Amino acid sequence: MDWECCWSKDEIAPESCPYVGEGEEDLYASHRRRVVEKCVECPRFKNDLARMKGSGYPLSDVLPFILTEFQEQKAQMGAMLSFLNSKTREIKFLREVGLVLQTSMDLDEVLSIAMTAITAGKGFGMNRAFLLMTDKERRNIRGYLGVGPKDYEEAWRTWEDIGRSNFSLKELARDFQKTKLSSEKVKFHDILNQLTVPLAEQGHIFNRALHGKKPILVENALNNPDLDRGLARILGVDCFLVMPLISRNRRIGVIIADNCITHKPITLQDMQSLETFAFPVAFALERASLYERLQEEVAKQKAANLKLREQQELIVKMEKMALVGKITSSIAHSIRNPLMVIGGFARTLLKGSPEDDEKRSYLESIVRETRQLEDVLSEVLDYSESLFPVMDFWDLNELIATVLADLEVGMEQAGVVCRQELSPELPMVRIDYKQISYCLKTITSTALAAMARGGELRVESMQDGDGVMLRISDSGKPLTKKAQEALTAPFFQTQEMGEGVGLSLCKTILERQGNSLSIISRPGGGNTYSIRLLTRKENI
Amino acid sequence: MAKLLVVDDEANIRLLYAQELSDEGYQVVTAASALEAVEKLEAESFDLAVLDIKLKNESGIELLQRIVKERHTLPVILCTAFSCYKDDFSAWLADGYVVKSSDMQELKDEIARVLAKKQKAATN
Repeated sequence: MDWECCWSKDEIAPESCPYVGEGEEDLYASHRRRVVEKCVECPRFKNDLARMKGSGYPLSDVLPFILTEFQEQKAQMGAMLSFLNSKTREIKFLREVGLVLQTSMDLDEVLSIAMTAITAGKGFGMNRAFLLMTDKERRNIRGYLGVGPKDYEEAWRTWEDIGRSNFSLKELARDFQKTKLSSEKVKFHDILNQLTVPLAEQGHIFNRALHGKKPILVENALNNPDLDRGLARILGVDCFLVMPLISRNRRIGVIIADNCITHKPITLQDMQSLETFAFPVAFALERASLYERLQEEVAKQKAANLKLREQQELIVKMEKMALVGKITSSIAHSIRNPLMVIGGFARTLLKGSPEDDEKRSYLESIVRETRQLEDVLSEVLDYSESLFPVMDFWDLNELIATVLADLEVGMEQAGVVCRQELSPELPMVRIDYKQISYCLKTITSTALAAMARGGELRVESMQDGDGVMLRISDSGKPLTKKAQEALTAPFFQTQEMGEGVGLSLCKTILERQGNSLSIISRPGGGNTYSIRLLTRKENI
Repeated sequence: MAKLLVVDDEANIRLLYAQELSDEGYQVVTAASALEAVEKLEAESFDLAVLDIKLKNESGIELLQRIVKERHTLPVILCTAFSCYKDDFSAWLADGYVVKSSDMQELKDEIARVLAKKQKAATN
């Protein structure tokens, strides 16, 4: 008998079976597979079976039973395979997300991956999700982040963009963190602000979900008299899922998910999948928050350590300075008394000696040298005195005018022109008047010494942030590097800086009061001394 | 002639004070310690006292406090090697404060000023 279907042939020519499609060409030569995959579904085969029945083939009566059973089994297999595939995809997705969640310490990264996984089509495909977290004091549960479109227009635009980009879930999360996280926090500000609930409010749905450690699916919320409609009104949907986030019995927060755009019902399977997902999310969120707090604590600790080190250094420095003060003070006392006796009697003798006495010049030398030694001593004592400043608020411009008036004669003699550029609107500075006057006097004298052949001295005062800047510039010979270095070493002298402790004392005085002194020497000539003074009490 | 009590534990300085201040026309009595000063203050009357701060057994500041307490009309000038006590509250009790110097002009001026002030107060 000639059959319509090719089931009886071991091998067939191409195009003899219209049901063999592209890519299935191997079926032409594979008899068994062709029969199982194609012939059982083929109408020609059914016709052949009918003809067989008519021709009295002994198996023709039972073959249709076998065929029907086979087809049912095949359909069941197909359904199971599809279920298995979807589960495999879900596991793969959970694994991918879980891996990031397990390894990340960054709260923003965890948030991004969790919220993207809930809302992306490649994830759980919910339209919108809100994350609420318990606050640090563990008193309230607060709205933290909302993700999703605000309206239809934004929804289609976003979903179209995502569809075109073909990003993996991980890439989507990364993109979200980089470009949208901060704006999303602001976008749902109005809703998030209304979601704060005290943890003690037992009856609230968030606390019920946390207490029961189970998600709660709310349906038809606006028409359900058993439910608080407030939440549905805030969210603008009547069907949503409240998923508790619990890690090691600690209440981390709650995720609310809904389909506010598509209004697709939330299935039991959606709920179960999200529940599985909630565990690693809660754990990762807790870990990231703890890590963030740890970082904060570490930063605080570091700052405290730094402060402590600075304080220790200050104490060591102060002890050194106090010792220097004690020594200089003691030396000064033991020297000043004999000097007074030597110089004093020399003066007495000088007074009583006749004008033409040859020995007068010796006595004059003693008087002069004693005077000089006494001046050096005064400077040394000033240094030890600088350790105990008396701080108060003073008008800097007035101080400048007073000091410059004292130096006027010296400037005139040296042929130096003084230009003052004082800002009239200066706040009061918090200084030891005597010490800052000394500094200005010393710096101005140093500047004058650099202009032995005359020049221009510029004194400026100006506001500098929350402080006041005092600048003294000369047009004289620039200070050498060595001279500048000498600033930091007390009692270090260079020829150009004159005798005594001079500028180094100024620097010490200024720094001890929380101010600063810097010197810039211009290679072409001239030096600028900048003093920055504080206008309020600092912790020094 | 104004009568001055000068208290300093250094013999040479007492000598210098006596010489220089006598030349200025003052009657000068010296004391080497706070104890001696108190004895002299009890025995005689003075117009002004010049005190050093660092004395052997008692500080000049303590002596100043005793003088102010017991003889509050006697003006006192502190004359010391330290300039730092000038800002010390306890030194503010004194009528004058001079840093020791071989040039005694500042001390002489201060004595003249304080005595003039005292005289003015008495005439008023």
